[in-house]
Amino acid sequence: MPNYLLFESAAGYALFERVKSEEIAITTDEIQQSLVDLARFSKIVKLKAFLPFTSAENSLENMNKISEGELTQNLVNFLEMNLPKGSSKSTKASDDSDSKESKKASKVRLGVVDPKIGNSISDTMGIKCESNEVILELLRGIRFHFTNFLKALKPTELIQAELGLGHAYSRSKVKFNVNRVDNMII
Amino acid sequence: GRGGMKGGTKMVIEPHRHAGVFIAKGKNNDDALATRNMDPGNSVYGEKRVSVENESGKIEYRIWNPFRSKLAAAIVSGVEDIHIKPGSKLLYLGAASGTTVSHCSDVVGPSGVVYAVEFSHRSGRDLINVAKRRTNIIPIIEDARYPLRYRMLVDMVDCIFADVAQPDQARIVGHNAQFFLKNGGHFVISIKANCIDSTAKPEAVFASEIKKLQSMNFKPVEYVTLEPFERDHAVVVGSYRPSAKDL
Repeated sequence: MPNYLLFESAAGYALFERVKSEEIAITTDEIQQSLVDLARFSKIVKLKAFLPFTSAENSLENMNKISEGELTQNLVNFLEMNLPKGSSKSTKASDDSDSKESKKASKVRLGVVDPKIGNSISDTMGIKCESNEVILELLRGIRFHFTNFLKALKPTELIQAELGLGHAYSRSKVKFNVNRVDNMII
Repeated sequence: GRGGMKGGTKMVIEPHRHAGVFIAKGKNNDDALATRNMDPGNSVYGEKRVSVENESGKIEYRIWNPFRSKLAAAIVSGVEDIHIKPGSKLLYLGAASGTTVSHCSDVVGPSGVVYAVEFSHRSGRDLINVAKRRTNIIPIIEDARYPLRYRMLVDMVDCIFADVAQPDQARIVGHNAQFFLKNGGHFVISIKANCIDSTAKPEAVFASEIKKLQSMNFKPVEYVTLEPFERDHAVVVGSYRPSAKDL
């Protein structure tokens, strides 16, 4: 089971920490209820960090990569900054705090919605990623409650971000596709 | 020409039993479906417009032709519930040029959202232009087969409407629902029999599509055929992962 979850939104990246340690069954009505009930869901995951996109260009650049399962510098920095540190690459492992940290690091398991982005993250950053049914259920819960976790982001502001990014992404698709036949201008 | 059914014809607008949908009544029993125009003064695809005066001023409606829209055809055919109403968040798969999408945009109104997915770039251009004038439409030019590609654009929604006319439509809708359709949300799917299987009887195709939907946590509740507006078409409506108390 993952102890962290990555959620990608039009407004930015969010990292959640899974706090309940038991394995959970996803099919039971009880779990489905807890995904819908914010009070119960907040006991399962907590918002750890959020990185807002800084501009329309910045969000489009990130969406273009994410939709292809590729990393961006924003995402790399965000994960590096907010996941527990101490990679195996660290050379000065002699002192106590460092070795404690590397022990912690080996325990990071990041739940992602798309196995492709999971592969990119683990290949480039050495972070263990997972994607399975339980993770999809947890991310459904996060999508459902997202603006409740982010006090600074109102539901209307998230929709504004989606609107701007939807237009930008769609315009770029229509303009920049090279291999579609029906793109001819008659 | 100008909006209005006919120059000088008096129309009366009455609410339809589906919230956000209206009936435009003329003198000669020429009733028509209509939606309240989010973008007064403009038509989207040459449809007629009707204005009525009331205490608070002028309100404009757009006539909604069931021969041009499967959702309108389903309403005229007597579907019990369309699950698209003022304030709804709707994920619309197979948005095409945005004609029916524009009526959905009228129905959900300023407090609702329509996430409109269309893969064809030619239709997509029209869709983007419709969305420019209607800020409750979020255009998504992407393949509905790969919902993960547009996961950054879509919230959890109340309803999925699908008119993708692909043999694997049920799977496409199921895949999108898994990411974006809330528990107890609804689906409305237009099924064109010969898009799925051109050799089988339409009734058999509808039955097998309903079976497929059931296998993906959908609970089909009703279906209507769209005669005389479309041949061998059905619209299936139901709920997604209903909780025990919803059943």
